[in-house]
Amino acid sequence: MKTEREHGISRRAFLTGIATAAAAGTVGLPGKARAGGEGAFATLIDLSLCDGCEGREMPACVAACREKNAGVVPEPVDPIPKPFPRGQIEDFSRKQGVTSRLTPYNYLFVQKAEVELGGGKKTVSIPRRCMHCDNPACATICPFSANHKFESGAVVIDQDICFGGAKCREVCPWAIPQRQSGVGIYLHILPTLAGNGVMFKCDLCQDLLVKGEGPACITACPRKAMLIGPKADILAEAERRAAAMNGFIYGKEENGGTSTLYVSPVSFEVLNAAIEKGPGRPHLGKAQRKMEKTDPMARAVVASPVIGLVAGIAAAAGARMKSGKEGGHE
Amino acid sequence: MSRQAPEGKNLVKRHALIVLVEHWAIAISGLALILTGLFELPIARRYFITEIPGLRWSGDYVFSLQLHYLFSVVFIAASLFHVVYHWFMGHRAILPQKGDLRESWEVIRSLFGKGEEPPFAKYLPEQRLAYAGIAVIIAGLIASGLVKTWKNLFAPDMDLWLVLWATWAHNLFFVLFVLAFVAHMAAILIKPNRPMIRAILTGWIRRDYAEHRHPLWIAEFALQKKPAVAVTEQDAPCQE
Ligand code: SF4
Ligand code: SF4
Repeated sequence: MKTEREHGISRRAFLTGIATAAAAGTVGLPGKARAGGEGAFATLIDLSLCDGCEGREMPACVAACREKNAGVVPEPVDPIPKPFPRGQIEDFSRKQGVTSRLTPYNYLFVQKAEVELGGGKKTVSIPRRCMHCDNPACATICPFSANHKFESGAVVIDQDICFGGAKCREVCPWAIPQRQSGVGIYLHILPTLAGNGVMFKCDLCQDLLVKGEGPACITACPRKAMLIGPKADILAEAERRAAAMNGFIYGKEENGGTSTLYVSPVSFEVLNAAIEKGPGRPHLGKAQRKMEKTDPMARAVVASPVIGLVAGIAAAAGARMKSGKEGGHE
Repeated sequence: MSRQAPEGKNLVKRHALIVLVEHWAIAISGLALILTGLFELPIARRYFITEIPGLRWSGDYVFSLQLHYLFSVVFIAASLFHVVYHWFMGHRAILPQKGDLRESWEVIRSLFGKGEEPPFAKYLPEQRLAYAGIAVIIAGLIASGLVKTWKNLFAPDMDLWLVLWATWAHNLFFVLFVLAFVAHMAAILIKPNRPMIRAILTGWIRRDYAEHRHPLWIAEFALQKKPAVAVTEQDAPCQE
């Protein structure tokens, strides 16, 4: 038989190999999904300050958002191809003026909740948009990585490579992204067989953030009801304000943590019960991170190369020790 | 392992049990990964796949990702086990050799009745080339898949270019993997290759077939000092 030297490895090297590989397997994996890097921003929306821009034709934040994003959606082709076999399209091109919900043409709207407060009735105005979650399933699960979370904290859809399959909307606890059929890259590939448009949502004005400017809605707010800043500072500020008004925070734990913190004197259960919910009108209830249950298995995937490596070395060492004994060598 | 079949049987051992386990672990998990990977595209509900009994889960992206992860563990661990185990055991018979391309061409010609098939060692030259090809595809799938998994778990804000590279490499290698699988199926359907199916199912191959088609392999272990009956898995000169 060939000796171990001929195979180019000694028995001692085998054992050292096992020990090294096993050690590599126990090197601790990070404990938690990285909730945004050091440079990540967060926003605060103070519902005690927002009055829904009473008296204005359109809330200032909504108007600023619409102006900033005017022309983002290209003109859909006419007729819009019917996706085989279901034939369902989503077309808001003739309803571009709608501001009472999220649409592909409207990424921010102000929800209204009639609630009892201090013995009287009060209308709470709640600006709603993408929460820019810390570990957003909408981005991580996109099969083309058309949706991505940037270091700024912004979760941005690249409209040039989105096929409009709406996976992001399905895994988002608030079903935020909105589809416009008849636009986008799918038209140039297999328009009736794959894809159905492009998804649109708030991008936290990522282009302005990288220039050191704030999002258009925040800049436009006459009541300073919205803030943006480093994540830790915004969290501290949200907690300070919530404590001062004996109020509540939404967005800190929801969907595994988000970069949008609502502060309200009225509890979010009460607000959630009072708002109109439905397509394009997200709830304010509990939001479990749907990907959470895949985390343990994902950790096993990350560890699997080490498992294979250690098992391979151990099996080879075992086989060769056995053959050594059988051959009566060494 | 003895290469000799039980008394009176016209058989010779081609694959050790460990090789069969590796092959089928990679094959079955690989097929499951193709399926669960496909269901990461928004097709199951659109194309009524969710209506097929037993496939209702296909429309649930989180559940199919869970399954995709599960089969990845088997696929990655088995692939790395394979590389490391055979590397340390000195098994090199399936690695491409000089002249394989030219020889493959001769084999293909002979299938069409042009010229004689050259005598083979344990593996056909095209098997060795196909092995290298699939190894590159699997390595690409594993590397890109690990980057994507790491992103999902720990770094959703990973550098966009790295994410795009990993994603599109994964998608491209996925297509190549499916094509390689189809080519593999086509190759075993070619008549002269069919006796090899028994070997990958049971480990044994017909001796007369091996002597006729793989004389270089048979000669290699027949030349050993010990008689074939006593040849052990570790001593065999020409392992997987
Ligand atoms: S709110 Fe929805 S769309 Fe926005 S980042 Fe979170 S999961 Fe994605
Ligand atoms: S957040 Fe500011 S701009 Fe938007 S509706 Fe409220 S008060 Fe108006």
